[in-house]
Amino acid sequence: MSADPLAMVSRIAGAGLEAQSYRLRVVSENIANAQSTGGTEGADPYRRKTVVFGAELDRELGALTVEVKRTAVDDTPFTVEYDPGHPAANAQGEVKMPNVNLLVEMADMREANLSYEANLQMMKRARSMVSMTIDLLRSGS
Amino acid sequence: MIVGHVAPTMPGDQLYVFGLAHRHANWASTRQAAIAGNIANADTPGYRARDIAAFETEMAATRLQMAATRSQHLELTQSQMQAEDVDKAGAWEVTHSSNTVSLDEQLMKADETARSHQLDMSVIGTFHRMLLTSVSFR
Repeated sequence: MSADPLAMVSRIAGAGLEAQSYRLRVVSENIANAQSTGGTEGADPYRRKTVVFGAELDRELGALTVEVKRTAVDDTPFTVEYDPGHPAANAQGEVKMPNVNLLVEMADMREANLSYEANLQMMKRARSMVSMTIDLLRSGS
Repeated sequence: MIVGHVAPTMPGDQLYVFGLAHRHANWASTRQAAIAGNIANADTPGYRARDIAAFETEMAATRLQMAATRSQHLELTQSQMQAEDVDKAGAWEVTHSSNTVSLDEQLMKADETARSHQLDMSVIGTFHRMLLTSVSFR
């Protein structure tokens, strides 16, 4: 016995919404920590986080939903700024700054936003399809 | 006219329309589920966009359901049995992560499917009203 496809749509779109909002959370984390340096001499600053999505077979639904597989860290090298008075400055007076690029984060944010909206549209469409089916009963009486 | 005689349901019979509209609505909602899966996985690396067979081929083919004879067997649902990968030529775009989901394409397909579902519902409603007219004494 398979689940009702239209109910499946809502569940799948719901999984998509959750995944995208998690991604948005990570983006805001990155932006908030764009200036978070280390506290001690030569310490590493905040490392940019990325999200890895994966298709997941939902046994109950019998359909592919999405889930966040893991949060990885971006290993691009840190940028270095000259600031001898900073507590994290090394012997040469250089401070490692986080590898967060605000432009990249903004682009990521827009993309997450777009995907979120697309999932929301699917949910709305499934809802209207269900309500149309229910309306059949209403008009027939 | 023979009293109590029931004519068999045949193609061309009015009740046949109900069956057809029902099957088409079922097909539309299954396709919508496949599209929802694609959109949810729009950012999944390596995910291939899926679509179900067109209703015309669906009508022509008779499909056999595989039986689950052991508890470990996965029962494949309708959508899984029919869902097939869209090939590279059929997809609108392929990203670097070899994901073939294009949001525009999927939303267009979803719109198309919702429209045909609406048509099914209108057909069922109209024919139902027609039948009600024939049996009402008002």
